[in-house]
Amino acid sequence: MTMVKVLFYLMGFIALASAIFIAASKNLVRSVFMFFVTLLSIAGLYVLALADFIAITQVVIYVGGILVLMLFAFMLSGRETLANLQQQNDHFLSISKLPALLLAVLFFIVMINILFKTDINHLQWVTKSVSYKIDIKPDSPMTGNIGVNLMTMYLLPFEAISILLMMALVGAAHLSRREKNV
Amino acid sequence: MHCVSTNILITLENFLQAIDTLTIRFALAAVLLPLLAFVINFCLPKKSNKVAGWISTLAILASAVLSVFVFSKVWNQHPVHQQQLWFTIGSTKLYAGVLLNNLSVLMLLLVSLIALPVHIYSTAYMKSDENIKRYFTWLSFFCFSMLALVVVDSLVLFYIFWELVGFSSYLLIGFWYTRPKAIMANKKAFIMNRIGDIGLLTAIAILFVVYRTFDIDQLFGANALVRSTDFQLPGGWQYVAFGGIFLAVAAKSAQFPLHTWLPDAMEGPTSVSALIHAATMVAAGVFLLGQFYPMFTGQELTILAIIGLFTAFMAATIALTQNDLKRILAYSTISQLGFMVMAMGIGAYSSSLFHLATHAFFKCLLFLVAGIVIHEVQHIKDEYKLDIDPQNVLYMGGLRKKMPLTFIACLIGAIALIGLPLTSGYLSKDGILIQAFEWSEGKSWLFKLVPIGAMLTSWLTAFYVTRLVVKVFFGEFKLAQINPHIKLHINDGGWQYKVSLVFLAICCLFPLFSLNPVLYEHAWLLTGFPKITGLDRVNIYHTIIPVGLNILSLFVIYWAYAVYVMEKALPLPEAGFLFRFSYHEWYIDKFYNTFIIKPVLALSKSARWFDRNIIDGFIHLLQRTGIAFAKVAEWTDRYIVDGILHSIAYTVLGIGNFARSFQGGKVQYYLFSMLAIILAIFLFKTLF
Amino acid sequence: MISLSDFLIVSAGLFCIGLYIILTKRNAIQVLIGIELMLNAAILNLVAFGKYDRLNNGGQMFALFAIVLAAATTAVALAIILNVYKKYKTIDPNNINELRD
Repeated sequence: MTMVKVLFYLMGFIALASAIFIAASKNLVRSVFMFFVTLLSIAGLYVLALADFIAITQVVIYVGGILVLMLFAFMLSGRETLANLQQQNDHFLSISKLPALLLAVLFFIVMINILFKTDINHLQWVTKSVSYKIDIKPDSPMTGNIGVNLMTMYLLPFEAISILLMMALVGAAHLSRREKNV
Repeated sequence: MHCVSTNILITLENFLQAIDTLTIRFALAAVLLPLLAFVINFCLPKKSNKVAGWISTLAILASAVLSVFVFSKVWNQHPVHQQQLWFTIGSTKLYAGVLLNNLSVLMLLLVSLIALPVHIYSTAYMKSDENIKRYFTWLSFFCFSMLALVVVDSLVLFYIFWELVGFSSYLLIGFWYTRPKAIMANKKAFIMNRIGDIGLLTAIAILFVVYRTFDIDQLFGANALVRSTDFQLPGGWQYVAFGGIFLAVAAKSAQFPLHTWLPDAMEGPTSVSALIHAATMVAAGVFLLGQFYPMFTGQELTILAIIGLFTAFMAATIALTQNDLKRILAYSTISQLGFMVMAMGIGAYSSSLFHLATHAFFKCLLFLVAGIVIHEVQHIKDEYKLDIDPQNVLYMGGLRKKMPLTFIACLIGAIALIGLPLTSGYLSKDGILIQAFEWSEGKSWLFKLVPIGAMLTSWLTAFYVTRLVVKVFFGEFKLAQINPHIKLHINDGGWQYKVSLVFLAICCLFPLFSLNPVLYEHAWLLTGFPKITGLDRVNIYHTIIPVGLNILSLFVIYWAYAVYVMEKALPLPEAGFLFRFSYHEWYIDKFYNTFIIKPVLALSKSARWFDRNIIDGFIHLLQRTGIAFAKVAEWTDRYIVDGILHSIAYTVLGIGNFARSFQGGKVQYYLFSMLAIILAIFLFKTLF
Repeated sequence: MISLSDFLIVSAGLFCIGLYIILTKRNAIQVLIGIELMLNAAILNLVAFGKYDRLNNGGQMFALFAIVLAAATTAVALAIILNVYKKYKTIDPNNINELRD
């Protein structure tokens, strides 16, 4: 039981626990803040998966951008919106949630089943990659790798994504414009 | 009902065609004329129609004339008997016919002769009553029933008319039906008569079972079946039949123990009392005894004698203390009937019937006199608005000065009742007494009590009759002593009263019955009947009894006069036991009330309780059970049958609601269904 | 060392929880959070597999692009939610069930 494993279990547990909390909570504000916790724990998991640049990106964009955007969005929406958004009428263990719960559990079981059926740990290309030593080691520098790949192999998606971002920006701005008085 | 009446008409038709003698026709006419009067009166328009009275009187006059004719044809000659087949049941043939023998024609004549003056009297007595039409209707109906009773030849018809006579009596006693006392009286009379009817019916049934015939002539006539040795009534049934006959006689002729209805029957009009309850209907019992006489054994005759004597004695003692004028006369009637029954018992058959005839005349006369007196006192009461009972002798007195003719008639009737010489009553009563002594000759001393008792009763009769006459006609008018300013404006009454009284008074005297005033043996009436054993003057009784009895009677009369007019001391103290015993009629009514009426009423109440609570309760129980079942069925229907339907509907609703949600426009459901299908595909792939 | 399957199990769990949140929440913003969670689970998957591809580094690259797209999606989604709220006065997905304007 190495430290890495313990950390992994901890991070994994926090991620799942906070996700379950989000699922169980009726209060929107609480779920947003727990989402915050979830995102940070997932970032921790990224680090343990030897993807440190992704982890940082996650923290910066997801937590610092998206979550803050959500918070601002409903905090600036006005009091009645807030009141409306915060209300949930259902009980915790409601019978109308049972199908969804069942579905989710079944999906989980199916996925786990597939995982173990295909013996994912010993996929051919994975084992080949390990044997050929082309997997990422903890001390490999990946940032430079990402930068080089971004400019050479993945240049088209990079450009496309920037256009997409611009479209999204324009669209969001247009959608939330104030109606002019006629 | 219709076929019975058609039968009657056919029978009559055949009858009239078959007969060849005038006698039967006249007899039938005599019987049916009052019936015709009844029908006509019934159909007359107004209630207060006085024509009704004249129609009835004419009818009875014609009947009387015809009866005289029939009597002259049949008396002491060969009896006439005609009959016709009425109807057949199985193998039994019932005949209806007319039998005229000595007894029948004597009764026929007697009834019509008594009825005639009563009818004439009634036309004046009832003229101010507003229901006069109804009165004469019922009176004619009674005359028809009584006349028919004496001429029929079949026991079935006899029973029918016996009942009809009782029924007419009921109608006439309760004539003033708005008075509660009258209603109670006629109910009592009818019920007691009913007891007698049961007895008679039992006797007729027993006789029919043994002899298989209803014909009176065959059973009791010349070759009497009841005396033949071929058919004998089996031992016990003879007593039962006798018991039945005795009940019938006791009920109709007011003997002990069924005598209590007669004093109460005085609630009816006085003319009704005169006709029915003095002369005719009560004589029907003695007539019955006369018809059925061959049937009785020696023991039974002795019983009859004892009961007759007891009744006579009892009634005489009660009459001593009564204050109501008509009640005194009613008890006197009971007493004299007791004499007649006793006479039948001791074998003085002809004397009994002789006494029947004489009694009819003088008792009827006394009642009519009572009617006039009461009528006049009623006038005084209405005029001065007094609160008195007009029938109470204590308020009367000294009326002989105002009503001389009435007084003389009453005197004649009273002397006849007491039995002093020169009257018809003397002849009949002394005959009975003499034969009583002869009967008890040679028997044990117990039997001697019968004639001695009879003598005592005669003296008691003398006392109370004198008391009656003296209290009403002698002395001072008591009402004037209480109310000084009353003036007596009364008089004898109209011609109707006078004619009736005179006619009856003449009949009370001796010439009608015997040319010899003192020797009864020469009476012509006695020659008509068999068993004439006492006519020969064989022993000393025939001289001693009339002489001794009548001298002592004169002493008794003087004594009564002394007590009541000259105010000498009363023989018995008024508060003493004997006086009270007599005044309250030997407490017999109270006895009946306690031991018979109250238990019957209690039984009726308990039957009503039973019917209401148990039988109706059972029905209610069934009803409640039915209702409970209905409720259970309703519950089942509502919750189980409908429940199944509702649950099916609910299931369908749920399924529908569930299926509806797939198209509800809710995006999460769409997502859910999509994922569910994907999952299903996954599951299929992994499992199969 | 952390094996691949561990990462994948965690990722599957997060995905299913996100699925549950989408299906049951009555609040559009909570549904959005659920969507984000599912995206994060997918990105974790990518990163976990990407450990075995140092040369092309496809996993990590795609993870980057996915994060960016998620941001864009969220922005537009929030704008849509705001517009929908203006029209329907509610953000319960169950109540927004009419197609016409």
